[in-house]
Amino acid sequence: MATQPTIRIRDLTKEFGTFSALSGISLDINPSEVVCIIGPSGSGKSTLLRCTSFLEEYTSGEVEIEGRLLGYRRTASGLVRESEQNIDAVRRNVGMVFQHFNLWPHMTVLGNVTLGLRLTKHVPRAKAQEQGRRALAKVGLENFSDRYPSQLSGGQQQRVGIARALAMEPHVILFDEPTSALDPQLVGEVLDTMKQLAKEGITMVVVTHEMGFAAQVADRVVFMDGGKIIEQGPPAKLFNDPQSPRLQEFLDTWKSRNMLFQADGRSPGTAEEGARP
Amino acid sequence: MIQFFDLWVQYAPLMLAGLATTAWICALAAMLGVVAGLALACLDSVAFAPLRWAVRAYIEIMRGLPILIFLFVLYYGGPSVGLRLNAETVGVFGLGFYAAAYFAEIFRSGFQSIPKGQIEAARMAGLSGPQIIRHVKLPQMLVLITPPMINQIIILVKESAVLSIITVAELTKNTTQFVNETYAVIQPYVAAAVLYWLLVEAVAQLGKFVERRVRF
Ligand SMILES: Nc1ncnc2c1ncn2[C@@H]1O[C@H](COP(=O)(O)OP(=O)(O)O)[C@@H](O)[C@H]1O
Ligand SMILES: [Mg+2]
Repeated sequence: MATQPTIRIRDLTKEFGTFSALSGISLDINPSEVVCIIGPSGSGKSTLLRCTSFLEEYTSGEVEIEGRLLGYRRTASGLVRESEQNIDAVRRNVGMVFQHFNLWPHMTVLGNVTLGLRLTKHVPRAKAQEQGRRALAKVGLENFSDRYPSQLSGGQQQRVGIARALAMEPHVILFDEPTSALDPQLVGEVLDTMKQLAKEGITMVVVTHEMGFAAQVADRVVFMDGGKIIEQGPPAKLFNDPQSPRLQEFLDTWKSRNMLFQADGRSPGTAEEGARP
Repeated sequence: MIQFFDLWVQYAPLMLAGLATTAWICALAAMLGVVAGLALACLDSVAFAPLRWAVRAYIEIMRGLPILIFLFVLYYGGPSVGLRLNAETVGVFGLGFYAAAYFAEIFRSGFQSIPKGQIEAARMAGLSGPQIIRHVKLPQMLVLITPPMINQIIILVKESAVLSIITVAELTKNTTQFVNETYAVIQPYVAAAVLYWLLVEAVAQLGKFVERRVRF
């Protein structure tokens, strides 16, 4: 059997009222692949991830997770909305990491990481805690399990967010701008954690503005604009030889802004240097 | 002067019995109101629209209706549809379902206070709707909703005085009896005021205790 994509998206559209946020997106994410999605703000990157996890209902098209249609059921008369329970079953192997972490502030770090295991996978408490600690160790926070989210730095909170997703042992993790809410000096620790996951072969879809990360870690970079995929390919190709004027413009804007940052003493690394290690 | 206090001694059993009746009816009504109010607030967030409209209608009607009218309907109107309840039962259900509308609004504002992102994270962890309410929403909103809930229970205690009109032998009814039998005015009403105050104070203290417990 040919390996089936972990995520298969076909002709996906999403409309908010009369506004088209996504129009005709088709994209496959293969096992162990790391795909970075870049593009200007408002281009539909978050909406794409949210439809892929069915946090947002899509208007038409199909999203399949490991061969199972997400959110709808095929019937003779077309697609019918699926029950919450079946939606949960299909996205059971999809994890998500949010821009604003979205940790539960009334629970300890370990509580955050083990809640899903205990309630939805019915793992007994002791075993769940063991699994949770292992996930925390992966993000370098094994000594923080009894803290509350408010007692952590932003970077640490986001690593807890990653551990929370990891603990469920998903087959793919979706990241929506995981470092955008962080102070510049905290970005590195989160990106390092993600690099480590990529090395371990975890399938990842990462919406990011960190071009250095995309260049170094992605197997494929997807450029979106106006609710469409404009261009995609290996990072070296995409960053060094952009075909579409819109991607060229996007990269130029990024480069000029990056130079300002470097004058500021911050060095996120450039696309070129990352693309060819 | 001695006689002045004598009346209190003489009527202490009647007044304390009234206090006890007010207390247990209010306690049961508050429990019923909290449970029914939580159920209403949960139903208010389901996808099925007619159910939501029914919940909204219930809340609007209860908030627009004087409690006395609602009690009359239950007590005097009930038998005509085969619902024959004794006065205490009408008191518990009447006050309980009346308060439920207010509790529902308190729960609803509590639910709304939880950031959407936290709920999305819970859905991605596979939690069901009820699990999200139980493990994510309720524990966080208790801190926020305990003060208005306690306030609502205190209002319930004071409003329970209307039960005297449908013949429940609660504190106000027994105070009236005290007045009628002795032609005294000061002693009965001072006693009633002190006893209501004690009950309200007890609820307030309970509220402070709960507030300390639910903080995280
Ligand atoms: N819930 C919503 N209601 C209406 N419009 C929305 C909603 N969510 C996103 N949009 C619109 O869809 C477009 C794409 O948004 P988004 O996916 O968040 O972009 P990105 O993540 O690339 O910045 C934007 O124009 C945004 O205003
Ligand atoms: Mg976004």
